[in-house]
Amino acid sequence: MSLLEIKNAHLKLDDKNILNGVSLSINSGEVHAIMGPNGSGKSTLSYMLAGREGYELEKGEVLLDEQSISEMSADERARSGLFLAFQYPVELPGVGGMSFLREAVNSRRKFLGEKEFDHLAFVKEARKEASKMFVKDEMLKRAVNVGFSGGEKKRFEILQMAMLKPKVSILDETDSGLDVDALKIVSEGVNAQRNKENAIVVITHYQRLLDYIVPDFVHILSDGVIIKSGGPELALEVEKNGYAGMINAA
Amino acid sequence: MLHNVKDDYVSTIRNHTSQFKKNSFRKLAGNDFKNWPGPLEETWRLSRLGTLSRKKLNPITPNKNKKPNNDLKNIGSVIIKFVDGAYRADLSSKLPSGLSLSILNENQSLEYFSKIKKTNLNNHPSTNVSLSCTPSIVKLMVEKNIHLEEMIEIIYEGGDESLSVHPVLNLELMENSQLSLIERFNHVGSLIMPLQLLEIDNNSSLNSIKIFDDNHKSYNLSANCVFLGENSNFKSFSLIKGGIFTRTETHAYLKGKNAKLNLNGVYISGDKQHHDLTTAIYHDVSDCTSKQIVRGVLGGKSTGVFQGKVRVAPNAQKTDGQQMSKAILLSDTATANAKPELEIYADDVICAHGATVGELDDDQLFYLNSRGISMDQARKILIKAFLQDIINETVDEALHSFIFNEAQLALSSIITKNDMI
Repeated sequence: MSLLEIKNAHLKLDDKNILNGVSLSINSGEVHAIMGPNGSGKSTLSYMLAGREGYELEKGEVLLDEQSISEMSADERARSGLFLAFQYPVELPGVGGMSFLREAVNSRRKFLGEKEFDHLAFVKEARKEASKMFVKDEMLKRAVNVGFSGGEKKRFEILQMAMLKPKVSILDETDSGLDVDALKIVSEGVNAQRNKENAIVVITHYQRLLDYIVPDFVHILSDGVIIKSGGPELALEVEKNGYAGMINAA
Repeated sequence: MLHNVKDDYVSTIRNHTSQFKKNSFRKLAGNDFKNWPGPLEETWRLSRLGTLSRKKLNPITPNKNKKPNNDLKNIGSVIIKFVDGAYRADLSSKLPSGLSLSILNENQSLEYFSKIKKTNLNNHPSTNVSLSCTPSIVKLMVEKNIHLEEMIEIIYEGGDESLSVHPVLNLELMENSQLSLIERFNHVGSLIMPLQLLEIDNNSSLNSIKIFDDNHKSYNLSANCVFLGENSNFKSFSLIKGGIFTRTETHAYLKGKNAKLNLNGVYISGDKQHHDLTTAIYHDVSDCTSKQIVRGVLGGKSTGVFQGKVRVAPNAQKTDGQQMSKAILLSDTATANAKPELEIYADDVICAHGATVGELDDDQLFYLNSRGISMDQARKILIKAFLQDIINETVDEALHSFIFNEAQLALSSIITKNDMI
């Protein structure tokens, strides 16, 4: 079943054409990797999908669960099951980790018509998931992302993913700034959530992450269009020949 | 001097004082009220009284039977009520032992008058008008060595459309005493001019919260004078949310060594409100510490003003005087003004000040939105975080949720307006 469909997406930023006709179809149970050199439009694509202001499509459309999301605000998309793991997670001074998580989870549950967590039940659930991601209790008491190392920030993003149980997750360069150990923890966290009902889009420009989060499909994004698609072996080809070679051949 | 404006109120006060004896404190005070402060007066430049000065007002004659219905949920265990500026024993609690309330006689009132006249509040309109028009000066005194467990709550209410209200208080904490106080201003209409003299004697400590929540038609010009003795401690937190124009002005004189002062405030302003927090701290002796943290949240067409002056006398070595004001603008028609002022005459001191005015951070808002949190809720979360540290630092933990709730009520009406940035 089609969970995410991007149809001929065109987007301009400051009068520059960034997305020039991106089309992609993602079905439930699938993991897609989008790779590309710097400036290919990867972050723009993820902000556009998440519904960030200023990143509206000039042309084309996006369907989440077969429903158009162009008119939906960022928070509506999130409540509908879209999740973006930020490349640079934002610091929220003064906003406690636990209450932030609870607000997010309860917003989604309310939307789904599920009962919201009460304080104690939530803390129990959060601690359980947190320990899987090696996120200490003490970290949840602190302000969101404030003073967190790169690895801690990325682990906290994946913890949020685990608690929100989204339909479609977009992981924007989740591997950037991570050492091997952190990479393993983050990848295990992501893999633990793969199931037949959801889909994951992994955006990266290094092949290494894809050794841990093995994709079903790999797409190469260059100058705002997907120039090549294939299986996981495509990632190894990029590793071997670089993007330049692939772009020239396309 | 507002030459061009017909000073009705000035002549009203002149007429009012004519009934008093020549050297009575009321006559002396009333004669000192010559005009409303004009825009050329430096400390009133950012808070102009033009509209107020044109109002036809008369000082209220307190109604001894009035029982305002404010629906206020009491926080303190001992309640003291002022209605129309007058103390109401019939509506107040019995005072605990160690705390006494008295009405100052003429001589005592003259002494009060001369104490304030020697300070920089000498020409404040509330000083002169309220001393002239107040039904009486009320003195609350905490006896030596008494640490009062009970929280004392003073409620100031009443008022009327075209009448001015004049509550005058003298609070004295005798040596080695402690008091927790919360004061709430909940008047209806026109002009309220509260005047206070706080004397915090050696080794005593006062925790004070003031909530200004008069109705949307009120002008509140609160004037406060504080004297701090050796090793004394004064922690003050003001929350300004009511009134069309509310200004709380405090002059604090650190007269004894090792005195510590926290003069913090939050203003939450919407519509066309004008909120002003003006302070002056005088480090007259060495080894004292003063800290001021002010936070403002402004929406609609409101204006927030913070004027903070710190004066360090030549002999006030080892002074530590810090000041920080931050304001968040939620609409592009709101204005925040900050005027820090440091006058330092000693050379071995630590003094710092900072002021920022900005909007809520777009990246932070988007991050919250991307987790399914609506824009209104995201703004509330960020503003709560913005106010968190100042409330945690100055307000007793037991009162945190009460103060947050008071702030939240004011915020709700300014956050969901359509003129958001």
